[in-house]
Amino acid sequence: MARILIVDDDTDLLEGQKLFLEKNGYTIDTALTIDEGLEKAKEAAPDMIIADLMMEHYDSGFVFCKKVREIPGLQKVPIVMQTAAPRKVGFAFETGAAPGREWMKVDEVLTKPVPLEHLLGKIEQYLSGKARDA
Amino acid sequence: MPDLEPAVPVTSQAPVAEAAPGGDRDSVRVIVIDDEEGMREGMRRVLERRGFAVRTARDGESALRLLEEAPSDVALVDLKMPGIDGFKVTEHITRRFAGRTVVVIVSALATVEAAVEVTQHGAFDFLVKPFTPDDLLQVVNRAVQQSRLLRERERYLSELAGERNLSHQMISSMHEGVVVLNIRRAPVLMNPRAEHLLGKRFREGMMLPELFPDLDAAAAIEAVIDSAPARSECRAVQLSAGEGRMQVSISPLLRDGEAGGAIVILSDITESWKAEQDKNRFVSMVAHELKSPLSAIINYINVILTGMFDDNPPKVKEMLERCKVRGEALLDLVRDLLYINSREVGKVERSLEALDLKAVIAAQLEFFRVQTEKRRITTAFEAPLEAYPVRADRGDLDRIFMNLISNAIKYNRDQGRLTVCIRDGGAAWEIAVTDTGIGMNETERGNIFQEFYRVKSHKTSGIAGTGLGLATVKRVLGEYNGTILVQTKPDAGSTFTVVFPKE
Repeated sequence: MARILIVDDDTDLLEGQKLFLEKNGYTIDTALTIDEGLEKAKEAAPDMIIADLMMEHYDSGFVFCKKVREIPGLQKVPIVMQTAAPRKVGFAFETGAAPGREWMKVDEVLTKPVPLEHLLGKIEQYLSGKARDA
Repeated sequence: MPDLEPAVPVTSQAPVAEAAPGGDRDSVRVIVIDDEEGMREGMRRVLERRGFAVRTARDGESALRLLEEAPSDVALVDLKMPGIDGFKVTEHITRRFAGRTVVVIVSALATVEAAVEVTQHGAFDFLVKPFTPDDLLQVVNRAVQQSRLLRERERYLSELAGERNLSHQMISSMHEGVVVLNIRRAPVLMNPRAEHLLGKRFREGMMLPELFPDLDAAAAIEAVIDSAPARSECRAVQLSAGEGRMQVSISPLLRDGEAGGAIVILSDITESWKAEQDKNRFVSMVAHELKSPLSAIINYINVILTGMFDDNPPKVKEMLERCKVRGEALLDLVRDLLYINSREVGKVERSLEALDLKAVIAAQLEFFRVQTEKRRITTAFEAPLEAYPVRADRGDLDRIFMNLISNAIKYNRDQGRLTVCIRDGGAAWEIAVTDTGIGMNETERGNIFQEFYRVKSHKTSGIAGTGLGLATVKRVLGEYNGTILVQTKPDAGSTFTVVFPKE
């Protein structure tokens, strides 16, 4: 079964998503900080990563993603970022454009609150590999 | 500059009846200076019959004395007199009463040379003896006309000088910077404020790019000049000026309906700009802080609604408990935001009263007793004096100590200690709130007074808070010239010391 790592500094958000996704058959690892997230990414080799943006710092999520890409075997792992930040915090979330994606190292940015069904749909989409080829 | 043409209609032949100088309806004043009594009286009769106010003098000296007493509009001066001759008298009058008295020379010397000489001495016209009453009236009327023109011109010039002086002072004293550019985009005027804002001294021959290295501003100025006069549009651009921000407003300068350059007004908008930036950042943070708990709550509710935990009521209850905690924290946040806002807009006036810190803190500790007992935290309150008087707003004191005591419980360990201690620090009371909780590292300690900053780690996960508590404490304390100090050690605890001035 597919393994997903969720990194977020909100325990309740982690708990809710974990419970929901586990019931849908996924194996979920959670991490509250980017350091913990990197550790778990190395150990568990997740099939997909969901990360928050603003954690310890406003850009922790980006730092995390950049470091994930440096882990052997995770260069291509799908990463979806979820954030409660407005669409513009000094930079625009233009993941659709190739240069933006290159820079941010993420496949997509979702705005919180992300409905669980929507999150599930995204996960299925990325794990089936369609989104990355699209 | 346009030529200085007095805007007074000139009629070639003003009727005598209207010859009185503008303003007063008194007769036009004429002085006749002649040593021959017959001439003097003859001219007086002709002129008085036509309504002129006539004075006479037999020689230059007495004429000048009369003129010193009261000036005349027209002086008829005989050229050949004993004592000071007519030329001297003319010179004196035109110098002494320039722009006031018009001199007409009366002479028997009817030559071109004499005429030229007369005007060289400052006379306006001359009348050749012998003359008819009509000749006299004609010459005098012309002189009256001239006198009136002179006075108009005089008044116009002094008004103009006054206005120029006024404009100059106004422009110099303006809080805004003013730069006037001519059609060739060369600055022709800069007030001191503009020099200050642009950081450049005005000098002849300086050009636009030197003054406005910013391309947007230069382009806007060019556009305004180029589009005039067809479109007299004004433009405004914002420039970053060092750390600050400047508003540049450009209006076309028109001369006789043609493009003549531009008037550039510079305003320092740094403060409002910064305030706006702060406000935007604050609103973004608020949105973020509101959405985070809502996301968590909605997630839990959705999980419950899927029915996937219907067979596990304790799990459902656990999720609902968390929803409650997060919902309450959200309410706290809204309350804090409203408090901050009401303080900012000055809606809430502080109502200062004589209060006792001991009583205020004791009440707060009592309020939190349920929570401390639940987590079996031992509370100690050390305040040996009878009372600790301060003048403050009750709501402010409550907010300060509620936040500090609440933090000391939230970030404490179970079965820990909470100590509140009031000491006499001379000019101020020092209130120390000490916990035996998780403490903070250097980075965390440096950030805790920032709005929306929350220490995020495993140790704090699950602890609800708004991120506004300490920021508010510090802000409120500032209004009493108070301060707050922090001593902390990771995993040992923290002490927050409020220094509250006695007066």
